[in-house]
Amino acid sequence: MRHLVLILWAVFIAGVPGYVAAQSQGPLRIEITEGVIEPLPVAIPVFEAETAGSAEIAALITQVIAADLTGTGLFREIPASAFISASTSFAAPVQFADWKAINAQALVTGAVNVQGNALNVKFRLYDVFSGAEMGSGLQFSGTADGWRRMAHKVADAVYSRITGEGGYFDSRVVFVSESGTKDARQKRLALMDYDGANVQYLTDSSAIVLAPRFSPTGGQVLYTSYESGFPRIYVLDVANLQRRGLQSQDGTMSFAPRFAPNGQTIVYSISQGGNTDIFTLDIATGQGTRLTNAPSIETAPSFAPDGSQIVFESDRSGSQQLYVMPVSGGEPRRISFGPGRYSTPVWSPRGDLIAFTKQNQGRFHIGVMRTDGSEERLLTASFLDEGPTWAPNGRVIMFHRETQGAQGRSTLYSVDISGRNLRPVRTPDGGSDPSWSPLQ
Amino acid sequence: MHIGHYISGSGHVALIGWLIFGNVFAAEPLPMQVASVSVVTGEQYAAAIAAFQSPQSTTEVAQPETPDAPDTPAVVTEPDAPAAITPPVQAETPPTEEAPEVMEQALPQQAEVSDTAPELPEPPAEVAVLVPEVADRAVPKPAERIAPEAVSKPDPEALPDPVVQEAVQKDQTGELPKEPTDATAPEEAATEIVTEAEKPAATLTESKRPPARRPEAPVKVAQPDPKPAATPNPEQKPAPDTSDAVNAALNEALASASSAPAAASVPSGPPLSAGEKDALRVAVSSCWNVGSLSTDALQTTVVVTVSMSPDARPLDGSIRMASYSGGTEGAARQAFEAARRAIIRCVLCSDTLPTEKYGQWQEIEMTFNPERMRIK
Repeated sequence: MRHLVLILWAVFIAGVPGYVAAQSQGPLRIEITEGVIEPLPVAIPVFEAETAGSAEIAALITQVIAADLTGTGLFREIPASAFISASTSFAAPVQFADWKAINAQALVTGAVNVQGNALNVKFRLYDVFSGAEMGSGLQFSGTADGWRRMAHKVADAVYSRITGEGGYFDSRVVFVSESGTKDARQKRLALMDYDGANVQYLTDSSAIVLAPRFSPTGGQVLYTSYESGFPRIYVLDVANLQRRGLQSQDGTMSFAPRFAPNGQTIVYSISQGGNTDIFTLDIATGQGTRLTNAPSIETAPSFAPDGSQIVFESDRSGSQQLYVMPVSGGEPRRISFGPGRYSTPVWSPRGDLIAFTKQNQGRFHIGVMRTDGSEERLLTASFLDEGPTWAPNGRVIMFHRETQGAQGRSTLYSVDISGRNLRPVRTPDGGSDPSWSPLQ
Repeated sequence: MHIGHYISGSGHVALIGWLIFGNVFAAEPLPMQVASVSVVTGEQYAAAIAAFQSPQSTTEVAQPETPDAPDTPAVVTEPDAPAAITPPVQAETPPTEEAPEVMEQALPQQAEVSDTAPELPEPPAEVAVLVPEVADRAVPKPAERIAPEAVSKPDPEALPDPVVQEAVQKDQTGELPKEPTDATAPEEAATEIVTEAEKPAATLTESKRPPARRPEAPVKVAQPDPKPAATPNPEQKPAPDTSDAVNAALNEALASASSAPAAASVPSGPPLSAGEKDALRVAVSSCWNVGSLSTDALQTTVVVTVSMSPDARPLDGSIRMASYSGGTEGAARQAFEAARRAIIRCVLCSDTLPTEKYGQWQEIEMTFNPERMRIK
């Protein structure tokens, strides 16, 4: 026994220095698992005007870029009054110390050149604290009247380089513009930039219109109109406003149309004799296919971005819930199981989430869930929120919110999928049923 | 560096020699019992065994007769009658439109729109609470900044700084007790994102309106707007620039990391205490802003190495990405850039990293794992 103790003691004495030496080798290692979530401070000095007539448009472009970035809630613009370094020349070297001193973490510099109707906009993006440029400088060329789109494109590039996600600023939204009181409301289709600018009306208000939906290319719009007395689906060409109605049977109502990702097929609902089911229609051949055949109400279909599945709402279980079925039809799979009623599901363009409207305990919510129904997250709550639509990058949702009372107004809102940055979208009149286009 | 090896080696050699030559394992023989035995021949052994053998039996047992197997009954088979099958009901197919209905429509005039978003009055505030919300947990107050620890709203006069410091002002005698400084305080922060749906329903009203599912019956149309529809202004698409320099930083970082010299300097001084490591971790955490990271980047863990100067500042160009996992190359680049900003922004003071232990923190390897930030 005494010998055994001696052995162990000798082994310990011999091993400790080696152990200590082994532990002392290599760098100090730490693991960071907690961070902060806050807007990234970004400095955007007014773009340099390269020609005499460029100053005004340069200022406008800079304003739009700043508004785009700060409007995401991910960036915070540092006011120009805090700038130490005056950016006078686009080609001049950047004094990073001056921008570090005001805690600018990103810097956007640019120049604008207007000659006649030709417009050139170029920019560079810098990571201030590393003192390096993020990507290469980019230049956009176009016409002067398209300056706003140029600004959106610069903002998209900046957003994409910093966040790693696609932008959504150079996109449009088609919606139903609403004016007048609730009992005499006029509705017409309208088109606008994503931020509410450049509103253009696509129809007059002689007939009630509902649920406009962009085609995958953004060149066409599906919508439902009551102009024949019954709801009927139309396809509108955005470029020339030519339109045609899709065939419908007498005594039926067609509604809730939406394009398939291939742009050649639409999925929609037909209501006949009190029953509503989902059909697809090949636009070119006019061939239709029934996808559901149940005594319950199936409507609001939306394709998965890969075109393989369709999510829709149904009350076959006794209350409105969300279901997913193959694009060829077949047995649907219920994915919503929470309390309340679920409606207007829309598949994310990234394919990872489904946005929906939920009504529970007298309140309306816009929410998102995984495509299998897990990880449900309610983003908003109000008297009436409805009709979500996804931004092209799948990070932002736009919807409409209606306030209570006879003077209640319907307004478009946008919210990040994290639930942050809930903000109204400014439109001349009220707005509802938004549909976001792809990037232009 | 090899002192430990020398001591360890010497100790081992001494130990092995002692074991071999020190007769350590020699032991006295165990106690043994002795019994006497006798030797017998084969004949004696056979005779002794024969006396104990059992008797043998040769009686045969008659086997019972096998009964005749009955004939196999004939099986009469009849073909199955085909089951009555009702032909499937053909899916109701909307009839094909013979000719698309084209509406001739003159291009309306250009809409009068302005480039700036129109001013819109804020929606009226919603009033009355009919449905009280019962929260399962304490709902944190929403804040623009999400941090590991909640921070209440600081004094508006205080400058944002992780360290709380009161302003030094003149006393009653009009003299400054010490050098005047501004007040500082951490920015207001919450520990998690609070969505509108999670806020208390203090301004919400119960909605009586069911969700719109199907169009309602035709209703009287409001008076048409005499103003014709406007022509969309087809905008010229600027030529996209397809230049792509997105991989430059990542490639450079990876190349630098792979070619980094293996001969690191020898750490000197005592190792950092747990508290000192925690202080470093907290300092970097407070600067690690993941708010602008993409969903993919938030799935990516990056390992970043940095060389520090004796005054606890990262050396220029020494921040490199050693490895990444869980995401794409592009996502790793975004995650690395956020980590690099965190390291550079953190002004580490000697209180956090003691100078006498510089050899221990001259080289630091930080693993940025955003897993817990995804559920904020």
